Amino acid sequence: MSNAPHILVIDDEPQIQRAIRTILTEKGFKVTTASRGEEGLTLAATNEPDIVILDLGLPDMDGVEVCTRLREWTQCPIIILSVRDSERDKVAALDKGADDYLTKPFGIEELLARVRVALRHSTSRQGTQSKVIRAGSLMIDLAWHIVKRGDEEVKLTATEYKLLAYLAANHGRVLTHQSILTNVWDPADANHTEYLRVYMRQLRKKLEADPERPQFILTEPGIGYRFIADE
Amino acid sequence: MVVAVVISQLVGRMQASLIAATAREREATQLYELSIALTGLHNEHAIAQILARQVQEVSQGEHVELNLTGTEPFSFHLPEVSSPIRPPELTVSIQAARGNLGEILLWKSATPIASGEKRLLETFASQGALALERARLAQAESRAKVLEESDHLKSILLSSVSHELRTPLSTIKAASSSLRGNEVGWDSPARVELIEAIDDEADHLNMLVGNLLDMSRIESGAFKPKREWNILSEIVGSVLARMRHSADEHKIEIDVSENLPFVPVDYVQMEQVFTNLVSNSLKYAPSNTLIRIRANIQNDTIHVQVSNQGPQVPTEHLERIFDKFYRITAADRVTGTGLGLSICKGIIEAHGGQIWAENIPDGLAFNFTIPLIWEGVSAPSLPMDTETE
Repeated sequence: MSNAPHILVIDDEPQIQRAIRTILTEKGFKVTTASRGEEGLTLAATNEPDIVILDLGLPDMDGVEVCTRLREWTQCPIIILSVRDSERDKVAALDKGADDYLTKPFGIEELLARVRVALRHSTSRQGTQSKVIRAGSLMIDLAWHIVKRGDEEVKLTATEYKLLAYLAANHGRVLTHQSILTNVWDPADANHTEYLRVYMRQLRKKLEADPERPQFILTEPGIGYRFIADE
Repeated sequence: MVVAVVISQLVGRMQASLIAATAREREATQLYELSIALTGLHNEHAIAQILARQVQEVSQGEHVELNLTGTEPFSFHLPEVSSPIRPPELTVSIQAARGNLGEILLWKSATPIASGEKRLLETFASQGALALERARLAQAESRAKVLEESDHLKSILLSSVSHELRTPLSTIKAASSSLRGNEVGWDSPARVELIEAIDDEADHLNMLVGNLLDMSRIESGAFKPKREWNILSEIVGSVLARMRHSADEHKIEIDVSENLPFVPVDYVQMEQVFTNLVSNSLKYAPSNTLIRIRANIQNDTIHVQVSNQGPQVPTEHLERIFDKFYRITAADRVTGTGLGLSICKGIIEAHGGQIWAENIPDGLAFNFTIPLIWEGVSAPSLPMDTETE
């Protein structure tokens, strides 16, 4: 099991630590736990985990701060855990480099899905990013700028394509409003969430079977969007 | 000659007493005016200001300073500049039965302060002291009332909350302990059912705790919407997509055009308003009836209606159903915290809108409005994107 992915859990609640450790160990991961921010930072530096699961409410320091300090030297995926109604903190952590979030209480399948996405992205950072993304009947070819729904090519405007390509390249990950606006539009447009609302609606109309109940472009309320592709 | 002197002395004395009488009359009038002005005032600052103005008017001094002591000390100056550097010509303390409440300082260098004037100012001060004492007593009384009220609400909260929390907890405990023991066989269908019950009830508990937290945030004023320009139909759509499992016994009809202007709302909070209004309709309206969600624009306001074909609410209850823990039916006959509608009210009001309920011919309708102008700006128009790939 020496090749088992290593996950560092930084959370001060013993019950949560116990539950996550039990489940992840059962699933074949190697798990280390820390209950304080400083301890977590030290363990991250010495153990170089493949994924960090980080609670935002730590006793000794702000989770967003832990995120910032980790990002100073490592690109390892960070999954944030936090309670409901702290959208601002989640967005702050995501904008400081966290990759994903889970709201407590969460289901284990959600946690495992996040972990899988994080592992995939940590490998794709090492240069094996797939250029063709499939999601149900959708096919997005990032190299040739082609989008197909079934056998039919979908006509997208330049902005629509740029937006979809950004979402698809990061499939599975939550993308904050600000990061989408900055990357697809311009840093100066980072507050214009209304652009997103309109373009996401247009994209959903062109791509989704039922735009009101999207399967591929999901809204993360108060945070951003997430593109769901086939595993 | 003697007679003349006597007469002139008499005239002089009569004049003097006439002057004194006029002065006393004026004092009485001024005192009367002060007590009228102070009547019914329960605000210490207002009392202090009126008192200082009257002192200024009577004395014609160049500066009046009034200081109140107590838990919240307060100073008032007339004119509203800092006092002269030299010591005041007159200091009168505001003395009440329970002790000193403050002092009035008077600067008046032009003419010396007569003893009558000093006496009058002292009377003013004691009138002011009475009014201040009255105000403090009234405040203490209303504080006591508020405390009593909130004590009462807290005990309702505790009984409602413990009832509500215990129900899902009992289910969870029963299900998990039977799974732990050997009562349920490994491949028994009951196993799946018990696990589902634990999962559902945990979600339910989470929702209850969320409601309680929201309510306490609304009450402490910490509930600030994070407003952005949003598309209302998207919010309604996502709420209904999430609720479709619980809504399968009702028909839901949506008439919210996606071409309505942007609404300046907090996405998450608005989702909650729709979730709570629709859940309320699902809970009270019989199965197979229709729930309608409609939105239209009236001037610079969006008007949203969520209506159902459930029982009507007696007129006298229509307003009060938005009060927390207010129920028309007995608490043990319905589930919920009794907070859903009051949370909606808190959210809508934080957005500068209004919410109300009304009886309609075949049921009940919840209405709310939200201004479309946000910080003086109306809904933005969008950049054009006409080029194709």
